[in-house]
Amino acid sequence: MSTTFIDEKPTQNLEAFKGVKKVPHEEYYTSGHRTCQACESAQIMKLMAKAAGPRTIVLGSTGCMYVANTSYYATPWGIPWMHTQLGSSGSGALGVAAALRVQMRKGFMKDEPINVIAFCGDGGGADMGLGAISATMTHPDYNLLILMYDNESYANTDIQISGTSPYGVNTSFSTPGKVKRIMHHRWKKNVAPLMLVGHPTCKYVGTISTSYPLQAMNNIRKALSIGGPTFIHCLNPCPKGWDFDPVLSFELGELAVNTGIWPLYEVENGKIKLYGKTEQIANGRFKRLPVRDYLLKQGRFAHFVEDDIEYFQSKIDEMWNKWLVPGVIPLQKELDADVPPAN
Amino acid sequence: MGQLFAVEIIYRGVFQKTLAKNITRDIVLAAHNEGKLGISFGRYGDAPERNGIPAKSFAIVANDEQTLQEGMAQYEPKQVDLTVVLDDTLCKGAESWAWYGLQPVHHALKPGHALIVVSLQDAPALLKTIHRREQPYKLGILKGVTSFSGMWVYKDDHTDVRVLGAIAKALPEIVSLQAIEQFITEKLKSPLKVTSAKTAYDRFMTIDVEAGAGNPEELFKFELPKWEDMRDGVSIKGQPQGGPYKDPVTGQVGGFRPARNELFKKYSSRTQRPVVNFATCTKCTLCWLNCPDASFDVTAENTYDVNLEACCGCGVCEEVCPVQDCITMVNESQFKDNRSQYEAFQKDKDAYLKWLEKTIESAVPIEKRTHGFRYRGQYQEQVPEALEVARKG
Repeated sequence: MSTTFIDEKPTQNLEAFKGVKKVPHEEYYTSGHRTCQACESAQIMKLMAKAAGPRTIVLGSTGCMYVANTSYYATPWGIPWMHTQLGSSGSGALGVAAALRVQMRKGFMKDEPINVIAFCGDGGGADMGLGAISATMTHPDYNLLILMYDNESYANTDIQISGTSPYGVNTSFSTPGKVKRIMHHRWKKNVAPLMLVGHPTCKYVGTISTSYPLQAMNNIRKALSIGGPTFIHCLNPCPKGWDFDPVLSFELGELAVNTGIWPLYEVENGKIKLYGKTEQIANGRFKRLPVRDYLLKQGRFAHFVEDDIEYFQSKIDEMWNKWLVPGVIPLQKELDADVPPAN
Repeated sequence: MGQLFAVEIIYRGVFQKTLAKNITRDIVLAAHNEGKLGISFGRYGDAPERNGIPAKSFAIVANDEQTLQEGMAQYEPKQVDLTVVLDDTLCKGAESWAWYGLQPVHHALKPGHALIVVSLQDAPALLKTIHRREQPYKLGILKGVTSFSGMWVYKDDHTDVRVLGAIAKALPEIVSLQAIEQFITEKLKSPLKVTSAKTAYDRFMTIDVEAGAGNPEELFKFELPKWEDMRDGVSIKGQPQGGPYKDPVTGQVGGFRPARNELFKKYSSRTQRPVVNFATCTKCTLCWLNCPDASFDVTAENTYDVNLEACCGCGVCEEVCPVQDCITMVNESQFKDNRSQYEAFQKDKDAYLKWLEKTIESAVPIEKRTHGFRYRGQYQEQVPEALEVARKG
């Protein structure tokens, strides 16, 4: 008999794919969605569905991946999918996990582990749905994954600022002008650490990138297998809102990691592990590329002058050189003065 | 009762959004100079726009307010006096983001009126792709490099004013060259742009396209589901699982062909397509794994064949392919159909490889491509070349 009040249910125990050639051919998110060319958010949907497999229910809060995938009675989804309101990916996932449990207990459906995934964009996750996701992360009884696909703006409604838009970026809400060049002064919200530090019973929190598809799928499989509520934050270059030639989608995902802007890590049962290039950056085996390489390839930063690029670089340097857990947790023992460039 | 004129601009979503908006706005502002009234607007169903998707922008102009209001009461003009196509690969048909299905570019054009296409091709070549029409119309080509930019950075290569010049020639009733010159001088404040508009006006001419001329291909059609077709719980049917790939020539079974959404094919978003060399493919999986549109079939030999109805031409497969020239993006105007490349390869390997060699010869190397923002300063480098093409006409 269990001595705790927590009523855990088994998961599907999905093992890691051992190499790209072992990745199954089946697609549960297929062709025919109304997304942009080289949409990395669609790419993570494809990888997520592939990683989770057929016994999966997906919920999606409002955003590009809702609107583009279910418009006009047509869908690319091959597994059950349901829309949830913009701020309710957390409550939606919890509700579905709880309903499945009741259905199985009452014998209305076969008792088997079913993956429950709720995805949300950065607007739905980092802004509006944060409270509901936070509440969900404190329910250890239910197995579910919240996957936040982050294109750093409200991309579906034509690129407005979200909580994860980077400093200085050009959006519909922060168009650079002749008098003021930088119209967005806030720094990107650090969402994964918010989840891992704030919810100590949560067994898995991590970041992924679509430019490392095998690793992304395996981390999703781990999050689905470990049990309880889990959270993954994925950075998705957006050709429309970031303003770049779609051919660069993959390269920009890599550059975000290699410049140190987007650290890759996972926290499993409280233990942190940096992986990929991020791990090499942390232990000095790979020298971070200058952020300039990343910024100058995107039209959204085309108004940046040298000072802005330097300031951006200094903030990334600070993240790696000053933070107590470099690249992850922004606690510092001593503070330097923050001097953004004059407009 | 006054006169009402409508112009539609068919353009590539996001890439030409600012360009199309500028042209329709400028038509209206220039028409003001002649005491006319007008309004410009994007098609509601195209928002939120997606990269590459065919979209429309309209300008309607009237000579009195009542007539203008009458025009504005329509959701969008049902018939237009002039259609401008800003990218010649759109001539294959435009399927909007929204529920319009695939339409020929002259879908809304009044009989006998002009279709203007920005292109480097000549009329006979374009008429091989523009679908046939029961009524005659006029076709005019504005010689020019397709102008692509993006959401925030605009490539100012004079395409806007050149189109205005061509419009003044094709439909002087909506706006005269003089009104356009006045507008450019006063508002855009660029004498060089006045020259560009004037040169385009002087050189622009149309040819008559007879009824029934053009590409005889049947446009892709499908049955639109209706709200009553929804099932219990307001649900719709998901995609079935695909199955093994059957080789069209050898009959060998293996690999995988996913089922695909039959109600939205993405190919009219495409301005370039991947051409695959199956002989040098190392079966590394990267194109297949990294395609956001799941457009690759896994053949029985474990090579990867692009499904050209699903591919929207982003170029990521070319980017991730580790083998030199194994996947090459080639401009869409080179192709007449969406048939399987692997099938052609299997039927006659030598002939396919010869075709491939010839086809990728015409491919524009990535450094030269105009498919959005790749690095700072790129547009400044491309503008002189575009202006040179315009100057030569």
